[in-house]
Order: sequence, then C-alpha cells, then structure tokens
Amino acid sequence: MLHNKKLILAHFWLAFGGFGFALLLGEWQMYIRSPLHAWLGNPELYYRSVTAHGTTMAYVLPTLVAMGFGYAITEAALKRPLIGRKWAWAGLGLVLAGTIVAIIPVSLGLASVLYTFYPPMVGNPFYYIGVVMVVVGSWIWVALTVINLHAWKRDNPGAPVPLAMYANTAGALLWAWTAVGAAIELLFQIIPAALGLTTTIDAGLARVFFSWTLHAIVYFWLFPAYIAYYTIVPRAIGGRLFSDPMARISFSLFLVVAMPIGVHHLFADPQVGAGFKFLHSAFTALVSLPTLLTVFTICASVEIAGRLRGGKGALGWLKVLPWDNPLMLAVAFSFVMLGFGGAGGLINMSYQLDSSIHNTQWVTGHFHLIFGGAIVIMYFAIAYDLWPHLTGRALTSFRLMRAQLWTWFVGMIVLTFPWHYVGILGMPRRMAFYDYTDPAMAGEAASVMMSVLGGAILVVSEILFFTVLIRGHRAPRVEAGEYRFSVATHEPHSVPAALNGFGLWVSLMLGLTIINYGFPIAHLMALRDTSVPVVRVGGAK
Amino acid sequence: MSEEKLFSLRNRWFTGAVGLTVAIAAVAALFGFVLLPSLQTGATFADTWDKICTAAGLVRPTTLVSPVIKPDFQTSEVIVTPQMMGPTDTVSIGRGATLALRCTMCHGARGLSEADSPNLAGQYETAVYKQLQDFKTGARTSAVMSPRVTDLSDQDMRDLAAYFAYLPRLPGYHPTGDVPAPRIVISGAPLRNIPPCAACHGAIEYKTGAAWLEGESPVYLKAQLEAFATGTRRNDISQQMRNIARNMTPAEIAAAAEYYSRQPAAAVSEAAGLK
Amino acid sequence: MSETASPGIEKSEQVERRWATISIVIVSALVVMAAFAGIHQATMPQTRIETVDPRTLHIAGEFIESNLGSALEADGSVTVRAVGQQYSFTPQCIVVPTDTPVTFRATSADVVHGFLIEHSNINTMLVPGYVSSITTRFATPAEVYMPCHEFCGVGHEGMWARIKIIDKAAFQKLAADRRRLDCVAQ
Repeated sequence: MLHNKKLILAHFWLAFGGFGFALLLGEWQMYIRSPLHAWLGNPELYYRSVTAHGTTMAYVLPTLVAMGFGYAITEAALKRPLIGRKWAWAGLGLVLAGTIVAIIPVSLGLASVLYTFYPPMVGNPFYYIGVVMVVVGSWIWVALTVINLHAWKRDNPGAPVPLAMYANTAGALLWAWTAVGAAIELLFQIIPAALGLTTTIDAGLARVFFSWTLHAIVYFWLFPAYIAYYTIVPRAIGGRLFSDPMARISFSLFLVVAMPIGVHHLFADPQVGAGFKFLHSAFTALVSLPTLLTVFTICASVEIAGRLRGGKGALGWLKVLPWDNPLMLAVAFSFVMLGFGGAGGLINMSYQLDSSIHNTQWVTGHFHLIFGGAIVIMYFAIAYDLWPHLTGRALTSFRLMRAQLWTWFVGMIVLTFPWHYVGILGMPRRMAFYDYTDPAMAGEAASVMMSVLGGAILVVSEILFFTVLIRGHRAPRVEAGEYRFSVATHEPHSVPAALNGFGLWVSLMLGLTIINYGFPIAHLMALRDTSVPVVRVGGAK
Repeated sequence: MSEEKLFSLRNRWFTGAVGLTVAIAAVAALFGFVLLPSLQTGATFADTWDKICTAAGLVRPTTLVSPVIKPDFQTSEVIVTPQMMGPTDTVSIGRGATLALRCTMCHGARGLSEADSPNLAGQYETAVYKQLQDFKTGARTSAVMSPRVTDLSDQDMRDLAAYFAYLPRLPGYHPTGDVPAPRIVISGAPLRNIPPCAACHGAIEYKTGAAWLEGESPVYLKAQLEAFATGTRRNDISQQMRNIARNMTPAEIAAAAEYYSRQPAAAVSEAAGLK
Repeated sequence: MSETASPGIEKSEQVERRWATISIVIVSALVVMAAFAGIHQATMPQTRIETVDPRTLHIAGEFIESNLGSALEADGSVTVRAVGQQYSFTPQCIVVPTDTPVTFRATSADVVHGFLIEHSNINTMLVPGYVSSITTRFATPAEVYMPCHEFCGVGHEGMWARIKIIDKAAFQKLAADRRRLDCVAQ
C-alpha cells in the first residue's frame, strides 16, 4: 500500500513533463540538420537545443523516474510508510529547482556546452550549479533508500530483503558513487572556471572525471527498467520469476562492474595510458554478463507464464502469452531493442571496433536505441503499472496503451537503425547542418530523412502517452489494492549474506575504482603543465 | 542464515567474488601493461618497467625524431588566450587616447575612418593589440603601419587597444529585403571548411583575437580576405584565416565584404563627426 | 516449502549454471577477440602520453606552422603533423602516400576537437595540452574528407579537412623537393 502517492506522482509528472518537452526539441534537431531543412542561420540555436535536450533526458528524466519508482518500491516492498517524507519532498524540490536554475541560462544561449560539458569550453556558472543541485537532490533519495532499508533490516533481522528493494538500493548506491566523478569535475574544475576564479583547466583530467560518471550513469538509468523486468513483468503477465538468487547476482554484478569501466569512453583520448584502456575494456566485457543473465532469467520467467497458460512445444508458449497486456508488449519490445542496442554496445567496447565508429552518428543512434528505446519503454510500462495505485483510478484504455507502446517501438527502430547506418558511413556527430549535395554525403541523406520520420512517430507516441496518463486522472475511482511484486518460483526463506546486503559489492566497487581510476587520476593531477586556457562561451557579442 | 559473517575467509561468496575480481584485474593488467606493449612494433622501450610505466601513462620526455623546419618568414608571436588582456582600467584608456591622437589622420577622430582604413571604434581589444604586435615584429606588413609602431611599447599597445575598445562600436546593419544576406556569411560552406563568419567574429560567438567586422570599409575587408587567400597576409596563427579565405570564391569574398560594410550612411557620418 | 534438495530447484539451478557458463564463454570470447585484434595491430591506442602547451604551438616546437604537413622520415615512414583549432585543421589538405606507415601527430590549439578519416582506421581526439599520435597504412589512392567529430563550438559544422592519398612513388617525388608536404594550394 502506497502512503506517499502525491510524492511519487510528483516525481513522475516532473520527469515526464521534462521528457515531453525535450522530445520535441530532439525531433526539431533531427529535422533541422536533415536534408529537409535549409542550413540553420544561427547554428548556436541547434547546440542550445542539444544542450537542453541532453541535459533533460540524461540528468532529469531518469533521475526523477528512479527516485519516484524507488520511493514506491521502498513503501510497497518493505510494506511500511517511507521514513523521511519531508526530506523526500526536499529532495524533489532541489531537483526541480536545479532543473530550472540550469535550464534558464541554457535557454538564453549562455551555456551551449552540451550535456557532456566539454571543458575547456565553459558557459554560464548557473547551468553547472543547476546540475549539481539536481545531483544533490538525488543523493537525498539515496540516503533515504539506505536509511529505510536499514530500519527494515533492524526490524526484520535475518529476513531476505525483498528483491525489488535489494535492486533499488543497489541502484541508489551505484548512482551515489558514480555521480562523484562528474561532481568532482564540476565542483573543483568547471564551476571555479565559470565563476572566473580560475582561468585555466586541465581538459584531459576533466574528461577522465567525467568518464567515471558517464558510463555507469547509463546503468543507473537502466536499474528501474531491469527492476521492472524482474519484479513487475512476471507478475503482470501471470508468471513467476525464474530465479531470485540469479536476479540478486545480476544486480550485484552491476553494482561492482558498472562504474570502473568509464575509460572506454576515452579510447581515442591522448591523456590515458594504453594499459588502462585495455583494463577498462576487459571489465567492460564483464558488464555484459549481468545483462546476459537477465535476458535468460526474464525469458525463462516469461516462458513460465506461457506454460501456465497452456503453451506447448519449444516455441508454442510464445503465442499464448497475454499480448493484449501492455506490460507484455513493453517487455518484448524492450528485449528486441536491448538485443540490438546491446550488440552495438559490444562493438563500442573494443578499441579496434570502436575506431570505426567513435564520434560518428553510430554512437548517437546506439544510445538512443538502448536508452530511449529499451529503457524508456520500460519507464512507460512502470508508469502504467503504478498509475492506478497512485491515482486511485483505473487505467482502462488498453488499446491506447498498446498503440502508444507500438508507436514508440516502431518510431525508435525507424529513428535509430538508419542512424547507426550513417554512422558506419562516417557521418560525424553534433553538427548543426551538413552538405548533402556533396557525393561524399549524398548517401546519407535518405537515412537521415528516415530518422526524421522515426522521430515524428515518437512525437505521436508521446502524445498518446500523455493522453493515457491524463485520462488516468479522470477515470472512475477504483481500489487498486496492494501493490505487489512478482513471486519467484522458489521464494527464498533465507538468502546468503552476500546477496542480502551490499558490503561486499560496494567494497569491490571501491577497490576497482582505485585500481582502474586511481593512477590515471593521480598522475594527471600531478602533471604541472597540462592546464589550458578556459574558453568562455555564450558571452561576448 | 544471515548471521554468517560476510567479510571472512570462510564465506564462499567473499572469497569467490574477491578472488575472481583480483584474478581478472591481474590478468587484464598483465595483458594491458606488459604483453600488449611488448607486441607493439615501432615502439622502443628501455625495459619491462619502462613498458609498464608507459602503458600506465607516465609522461616520458620524447626526443624529436626529425628537426623542426623553421619558417622563412616572420609568424605572429603573440600568445592569444581569452585572458590575455587583463582587466581594463580608465588610466590605460586615458593613456591610449593620448597615443591615439597620432592615429586620427587615417583612422578618424573617433576611430571611424573616412578613408578605407579600418574603423577602430569599439574594436575588440585583443584584435587591436595583436595586430599592433604583428606589425611591430613584421608578421604583418604594411607600408603605412609598419613605421608607425616601431616606438610603441607593449604597454602602449595595450593602452591603445583599451582606448579603441572603449569607443562606441558600429553595430551590425542588415535591413532585410534590401539584398539577402549571402549564404557564405550566414552558413559558410561546411565541406570547403568555411564556418559562418559570426561563429568567431562576435555576432554569434567570439574567438579571441578575431576582429569585429561590422561597418568596416568594403575595400579593406575585400583586400584582407584576398591577402589571406593568396597567403600575402599570414599573421593569422596556424593559418586559421588563410584556411577559410583560400576556399572562398572571388564572388563570395566580394559579397562578404559588401555584407559587413553595410551601414546606414547617416550613422557613419554622424559618428565620424560629419553632419 | 524447503530450499534444500527439491528436484525442481536442482534442475533450475542446473539450467542457470549452464546459461551462466555460456555467458561467460561468450564474454571471454569477446575479450580474446579484442586482444587478438590488438596483437595483430588492426589499430592500437597510442603508446605514450605526451604533453604540449597549446598557447605556444605557433611560436616554438613541433607544431609551428612551417613544420606542419607530411614529412618523409629516414626509415621510409611518413609523419603528418597537424593542429586543430576553432574551426579548421592545419594543414587543411593533407597529402599521404599509399602503402607506407603513416603516423599522424596532432594537438589542439584551444578546445577539444577530434577527427576521423573516411574509410580508414584513423579516429582520434585532440585534447589541448596533450599530443595525439596514431598510425595507419593507406591502401589505395583516394580523396577523402577528414571532419572534426567532436563538438568544438558554434562553428563545428564547418570544420572539414581533406586528405589526398596519392601513389607512393608520386609522394616520394614530391618529398624530394620539399621537406613538409600538403595539398593546400590545390
């Protein structure tokens, strides 16, 4: 039973509100740089939009979804009201305030530095301060998650932590540690430069700090979706979770290996040694393991649902699955996109293959497919599943939900597949316009236009999504009952201490951070002569 | 039961997880820091420890393989950074005003020229300073300017720059419907390596050392672009303007010069002290 | 319900272990492939970190204007030196020979840039303060583009250089006359 419905709803509405606006910006960007539009007269507008779109989609949307869903899990899984309600509201307020503080200079064109910050280019300090506020707001959620779990464990000594809460806490801890890299970059390098307190900055060191955050943040984004795979989907489709311990192992593996692999974003950079590039490459290979385990466990869980419905034969159970259930559609679409997106990720992870596509449009296509596709579609599913419990009203427009999910899936495929293709052709990233008349670029024109079409389909999907959610506020009242999670085929009565707590995994995560990042950071900090002049943008006219 | 101790050698999870992690890290490190560098052709290492240190990223002093080819002409020696000018002060501006009295013959009483010399009113400090320095070292040559800067000290040049920057600048004047803004100015030509002029020259973003172009004499602008295009003028650091000008067609050069020079006649006359 | 020795649990644990083993095999195979590709040097990360001062690139050192371009080394290899800045690469047109080890050495004069060369292994970042070094071999004569692929400011979309890959013998002839080559005037 959810006690803080308004709190959770507020998180979701803010998340989706930002998302809704940022999506429109994204489609505008796609259109503006396609052959369908003349070269933009003021290219700064494009980069401004990319900054706003990226910041909202990367820092605001997934953070708020993780927080809101996290609070729902804390209450529903631990079956008690949230401890620290006021702090939770304060955290939300901080995230909201930070978003506003950041978005104002961006909208005015004072901080078109893109969401990856790009020192030595430095924009208006309030953009960065706003981002820091968002992160601090989310750290309040982390603290509350840990506190609530701790209180429950104290009151339930020796009992297995419910899987949903275990995963939720793992995600929170991962986020807390991974955000430290960007926080150090912002607090000690960029904000002092933006405030004019320093006039030089070590761009190489800043990029290393940012890489600390940059990869693991996508696992932070992924946690709500994976939690939904394990704890919502099997229940929603009438099945059972195939294995509880395997689930815990997957989440624990993410906690350990997601973070100390960020240097694979710096393969082509000159400030990191080749040995560390290989080390990070090897550990990046490891992080595909929990996803592979997840794919297996979830497919098995779905198969259970199929068999329980009378499915027979090696694949016959697929047909009898409840395809009219939006959750079923969502997980199927998510897995298809996860398959393609994950394969793309395997290519990115090796230095040699990455050399073909680094900083081409392949990379952008990849993360739109895996995050915007596989993950965000599960955010929709989570919203659909939670909505009746939050609003106290039924969600009845199943056809609309299915149409929304279908259009999101189709739109994502049409958007991202041609996008990957032009990346292979060598189309560089982040340009406000391209000359498609040249034979070297002419081959890319058709694909880019297809992506524009895909984006338009996503806009339609977004409209459907809001329609469903808004109708959900107006539907007749209904008693949603207790919010339940999926049940494992073999519910654990006791769980090994390693899988019931985080001490071991967090220690390994910290240890690996030292091994993988310690020397590169220390050594760059010790170099005297690598700080370069700060280039302020958005200023002089 | 979860009464078991987690951090104990008797806990299989602990030993397994830590052992596996350490093993993977050790093997990957062996590979990345020792084996792979050993297989690098063309890289010379003193010994294994050197291999490891280099793979870790320690900066070793490199001896240049081939000697540096020096130029046979004077290049700009100005160190251009966004912080190069320092804070402006009125004393400096005052000194600059005095020094500028000798400039009015060509550059106009208020920094607005009636001839085809560049207008200096409101010009970016860094642009004025850099050009004066380049005239002095010979990186940029002009029969008119070169003799006039020989007795200017570094502080003099800073003062002059501060003064001219302080004068009211000519704003951009591009009435629509008159003549459409040339594509080469607004969007450049990407595959010919021509970005929009405003990306550096201030109207969208300012790159340190670039000049404000609005309201300049079209004759002067055209001459400078042509000089960059042929390489006659080469005080642009690392060829950054030559790279752009040499890919512009003569028509585009003329159009760009014309676009930037456009000023309502009234504004220029009034500012130059004529009625 | 007991958690010990029920046949259902045993069977499912066996299936899990089998899948986990398969997953580990897949992952290990990928790592071995990456190492193999590294060993056979399809392309490798640069061997060493080198630092440089972006403020004085044009005044002294390896990256002064007259030292940029393609240089034929004593051992027959070619070193191409280039500078990236807002918003062009210098030399703007780089000439390289076929069938020769070509090492690109480049750095940035201001902000982070990057470049790739179409249809080649060359793909690197230019971070001000550090020198990037990357080696490749071109097989056939061609004219390809070298765009900047990292956001470097509002003029980024105009930052495209050109690479001319010419026959090895033709390159040797050109190199006999001049110490640093480029194709800028063409």
